[in-house]
Amino acid sequence: MVNAFSCVLKAKVTEEKPVRDEEIEQVGQGLKREIDAVFGGSIAIRELDTGSDNAAEIEINNLNNAFYDIERFGITFVASPRHADVLMVTGAVTHNMEIAARKTYDAMPSPKFVIAVGDDACDGGIFAGTYAVIGGADKVLPVDMKIPGNPPTPTQILEGLLALMRKAGKK
Amino acid sequence: MTPNLRDPADHVNEIIGTILSVDRLVKGCTNEIYLRITEDEFEPVLSLLSTRKFVLIGLFCAEDFMEVPGPNLLYTFEKKGAVLILVREVARSVSSIATVFPSASWFERECRDGFGVEFTGAFDTRRLFLHETYPEGFHPLKKSFRNAPIATKPSIDPADEYPFRKVTGEGVYQVPVGPVHAGIIEPGHFRFSVIGETIFNLEIRMFYKHRGIEKLAEGKTPDDCVRVAEAVSGDESVANATAFCMAVEKISRIQIPDRAWYMRTILLEMERVHSHLGDQAGMLVDVAFPLGASQFSVLREEVFRENEHLSGSRFLRGVVTPGGLSKDIRKERLYELSRFLEQLKKRYKIGLKIVLSTASVIDRFATTGVIRPALLRPLNITGPTARASGGKVDVRVNCPYGIYAEYPPKPSILKDGDVLSRFTVKAAEIMDSIDIIQRLIASIPEGTVMTDTPVTDGYTLTLIESARGENLAFVWIRDGKIERYKVRTASFCNWQAIEHAVQGNIVPDFPVINKSLNLSYAGTDL
Repeated sequence: MVNAFSCVLKAKVTEEKPVRDEEIEQVGQGLKREIDAVFGGSIAIRELDTGSDNAAEIEINNLNNAFYDIERFGITFVASPRHADVLMVTGAVTHNMEIAARKTYDAMPSPKFVIAVGDDACDGGIFAGTYAVIGGADKVLPVDMKIPGNPPTPTQILEGLLALMRKAGKK
Repeated sequence: MTPNLRDPADHVNEIIGTILSVDRLVKGCTNEIYLRITEDEFEPVLSLLSTRKFVLIGLFCAEDFMEVPGPNLLYTFEKKGAVLILVREVARSVSSIATVFPSASWFERECRDGFGVEFTGAFDTRRLFLHETYPEGFHPLKKSFRNAPIATKPSIDPADEYPFRKVTGEGVYQVPVGPVHAGIIEPGHFRFSVIGETIFNLEIRMFYKHRGIEKLAEGKTPDDCVRVAEAVSGDESVANATAFCMAVEKISRIQIPDRAWYMRTILLEMERVHSHLGDQAGMLVDVAFPLGASQFSVLREEVFRENEHLSGSRFLRGVVTPGGLSKDIRKERLYELSRFLEQLKKRYKIGLKIVLSTASVIDRFATTGVIRPALLRPLNITGPTARASGGKVDVRVNCPYGIYAEYPPKPSILKDGDVLSRFTVKAAEIMDSIDIIQRLIASIPEGTVMTDTPVTDGYTLTLIESARGENLAFVWIRDGKIERYKVRTASFCNWQAIEHAVQGNIVPDFPVINKSLNLSYAGTDL
């Protein structure tokens, strides 16, 4: 039998975090305050790749590793656009992804926000003006925030999210 | 193993010599052999190559190649490190070889979309990288088309929708998945035909991310084009940049300093380590074993941070450049890297032990997603995926480049071809890559990392072993500018293996099978 009191009173068996990155902690706590105030404690993000080189996806995935562990700030990545507050778009929008990109955005409930992550999503990057892409995400969707970088680091993505939350709070 | 002192090209001479004059074989800058072939000779040579077990590793088109106007097809074959390229002039239409070399099917569809070359007798003539919204008769890789935005159809008429293969029978139903998937992952469409939970057939549709990489490269200077090579696939940035630079250097007869090759090899192996670590973490996520997954993700994040310290980029971008490296790395920094890898190795072993002694993981991994050895040659399956199915293929061993002849990797070959074998092969390769890097750091020569030799015109084909397997780069420079850059990544070939690997498995095992093959969508879609 597990004694309920011992669960509360006994020292917890946990490990130290591998590193404590003050920069991330600071950005993260700021994010948490904004999310608590504006979104009632949590935001749901849907990631949409419209033609990236996969580096941006890797960095967004890294936000979930133990170094960043962004769920503790109230951010979750969700499997369906129907559950999402924020659409995180990576890559220039290719012709082959245009319809899927519009459908994904349309499936999200309002109010909704769009973030472009990476140089290609911001303005088409090196692919701007070529036959296969339409351009940055803003050519197809209403973009609220751009996070440049090739690809942006996880910390830069967090800072971008913080900026979006502040902007959303003012609306 | 005794070193093979024979030039692999001799083997090609011997075989071709049985039906054609060997005087017609032209040696390229990287020891690849070109043979211009007439329509009459094509069939006999092809059946000869097929019986002598050559593998079709690439088929692509180049206009006005070797002074012959119009589209020319370059059929690229490999056997035991020797590369033979048949150059075939395109008459109005050409015969398909997909019934003899199945890996040709995607290549032929690619040539059709890009250049408008029609293949008679092809069993699949659907469009490949140009999806439904692209206009008819549009062939972007033709020289007559100047790269500029084009008008596409705003919507798809139901009659024009992509026709998936029909699988019918009692109790068979379809599960369409994608292009937008549930996870943080690249887009692609999977059409499952299932009976209950069991996958009866899978058809994949890719190229949603077609960004026009090859056309984008044209007209750029080799220095500028490195960025395009890096953008082929983010986690293969070093491999694709190196393959491209190696080609430019071979064409221009540039001998890069030894130190630069040591450094490039360190970066290439670091890329293999972070790619394999991410892959293994993903496989563990997909069998719901977060304890192992989070350990490997932590190690991977540390490798990314180490990459940033080394090069300023977490993906090691912007370092490899034609002629060597754009920056040197201090000796002390390299020693720190060696110490970092030493403790990484220890912690990796602990994590690996936990994973491999967990019954629930082994239960999901073993006998899942088997790739039979018989598929390796016809589909040109490559890299760790092939090595987990008994294939003795590794460009670093079979056709060593840079300094791999002096620092050969330890081949780890398994036979079962299941998810567990692929996981185990990758584990061995991580340890081996760490070992190679540490040995390189211990004996890296001093000196510069850059040569300043002008780039000259010409063409060549290079092969490189990326984390995912053999990547091919064909570079043709004309008037100092890129005339044609063809890149074929390992993923382009290995994607076709997944349709076979999943048959008879249950749908819930699809993610782990997919992850175990570690396929890049970007590297395939270009």
